[in-house]
Amino acid sequence: MRVRALLALAALLLGGCASEPLTVHHLPPQTPAADTAAAVAQASSNPFQSAVSPKDKEGADVALLQAAAVPPMHTYDPWERMNRFFYRFNSRFDEAIFLPVANNYQRLPVSVQAGVHNFFGNLAEPTTAINDVLQLQLHAGLKSLGRFIVNSTIGIGGLLDVATRIHLQSSPTGFSSTLGRWGLHPGPYLVIPILGPSTLRDGFGLLGDYGLAYALNIADLYRGAKGYALWPIDVTDQRANTDFRYYASGSPFEYETTRFLYVHRELLEDEALHAKTTPTVIDRKAPDALTH
Amino acid sequence: MPETVPLLELDLSLPWARPVPAIYWFDRRLRAWFSAQPGAAPLAIVIAGTGGDGNTSKLATLRAVLYGAGYHVLTVPSPTFPGFIVSASSTGVAGDLKQDSQDLYAALQMLVAHLPRGTRISEVDVLGYSLGAAHAAVIKSLDDVEHKLKIKRAILINPPVSLFSSIGRLDELFTLSIGSGDSGVEQLYKRLYTRLANLYRRSNKVTLDETDLYSAASAVLTSDADFSAVIALSFRLSLVDVFYAGDLYAGTGIVVDPKHPPAVGDSLEHIGVVLRGKTFADYFSTVFAPYYLAHRPGSTPASLLADNRLDIIADTLEHNPDYYAMTNDDDPILNSDDLAWLRAKFGARIVVYDHGGHLGNLGERQQVTDLLEMLAGLWKRGT
Repeated sequence: MRVRALLALAALLLGGCASEPLTVHHLPPQTPAADTAAAVAQASSNPFQSAVSPKDKEGADVALLQAAAVPPMHTYDPWERMNRFFYRFNSRFDEAIFLPVANNYQRLPVSVQAGVHNFFGNLAEPTTAINDVLQLQLHAGLKSLGRFIVNSTIGIGGLLDVATRIHLQSSPTGFSSTLGRWGLHPGPYLVIPILGPSTLRDGFGLLGDYGLAYALNIADLYRGAKGYALWPIDVTDQRANTDFRYYASGSPFEYETTRFLYVHRELLEDEALHAKTTPTVIDRKAPDALTH
Repeated sequence: MPETVPLLELDLSLPWARPVPAIYWFDRRLRAWFSAQPGAAPLAIVIAGTGGDGNTSKLATLRAVLYGAGYHVLTVPSPTFPGFIVSASSTGVAGDLKQDSQDLYAALQMLVAHLPRGTRISEVDVLGYSLGAAHAAVIKSLDDVEHKLKIKRAILINPPVSLFSSIGRLDELFTLSIGSGDSGVEQLYKRLYTRLANLYRRSNKVTLDETDLYSAASAVLTSDADFSAVIALSFRLSLVDVFYAGDLYAGTGIVVDPKHPPAVGDSLEHIGVVLRGKTFADYFSTVFAPYYLAHRPGSTPASLLADNRLDIIADTLEHNPDYYAMTNDDDPILNSDDLAWLRAKFGARIVVYDHGGHLGNLGERQQVTDLLEMLAGLWKRGT
């Protein structure tokens, strides 16, 4: 019976619902007062009007743009066939199930969403603290631990993020970054079913973080029925807070673009982490002009 | 500015859509976004610029402004957006001002007919930015004859005057600042995408929006490079998709073998490398012109170029008081002749700001005030 239901679900996902000429998706309302302020700010800092060189604002990253540091557009992807399959599968799953659920979640009062988001963020702090220690970032580890203690008590079990208000900013990290800190390359690109673009190391990282959380088993939330009940809420909250939509570009080249951006974002994160843990003098010389 | 703007996404199958090539399976439906006022209200239709979908950040800015001023707002993709080319174009070869506008006009009629029940529309106006401005003008001129939507006013925000000479100029700018060799271009794209990856690292998002692109590109091109090249670059990125779709649909065989088109799941990386080096001139001479010369009897390359100027509706623009335009003195897609032409045609119905480049001042207070007054038919020069 269960198998039949799963097959029916798979058929629905893969077939789409193309019979209706029109589908209407109710999206969460936009908040233009805030967004537009940001957009206007961005427009007024537009490069065509501003004499400020963007590289001055971005400082340290300029070094990464030196000609020699430019990575090839080609991205290591030995499992491309499988990855492309799951990219398509995820896109359909996203449209049929994940996004509608996340959209409905976003229609809840903002305070409820914030509570859920803070709650799961707080649960992740001990894992972050342990990873900070493994990355030799003791100060950050203490901060995460402090956040956990403050938010679990004064913040009513993590529903309120009091710690940020007393200048203990959140800086989540995970086992994947820890592996990167000790020199493990991100490895091949990997599209994980349902969760999306990733790398092999990120996949291991996810398992590692989950194993840690399971071992810590805070408030007995990770075992038995409670674990099963909380996981979907956590994933929904994460989806609702991820600004990504499959094939929003409408382009058949999207797979390549996303792959490049994802893997290189991870490489840049590794660079940044290395720079933080091993202080070096950053060469602020301007990147080579492209005309030369 | 309103606190919140309700938003619906409309995914529509058009009955006249051409067979969808397998690798475009995700573009089967035309996607548009709609924000409804509770009661009767005028409808503002807003058309995206080159390569933009119906929900770009510029459209979001305009949506907020227009919704706040009491309009229903329908935002639609550019006819050069791959999703539009696949779901709504009658040719698959984008870039012809009149043909693209006709296709979009037909799609708009379907969209307006399918707006949620209970939407009460008191008047229809059409706006567009960049290339979308040219489409807005031509669509209103079509509607002036056919009266299918009864469009009252058209507002052109930073329009081009001659599509191919604008982009020809962009090709030139691109070559000047990047160099023309294939390796130079590929090197630039690598840098650009690395910069984008860096932006995502900061903002924890993974969307590719023109605003991100501009900020990434402006960093890559370094401060002393001509910033117009950034605009050129963003157009060139849109060209990759337009070129690919055009070549596939027209069967011109430049990068897609018409006998063996790529299947779902095939890698397109090698094609992407070739396409990133292509110019607008390449697109015109190897895909666009061959297709239209074969399908439009009596046309010549010169006539195709002429058909892609706002000239084709010059009389209407000059004499019909319901067309308005706004642009900037330093917009890189216009030369001084183009600007003079716009001033001559629009007369008292154009505002030209001193600064702002190409769309740099969209959403600024003065621009918004002028825009809303134009839409309401209240705008007077210099007030």
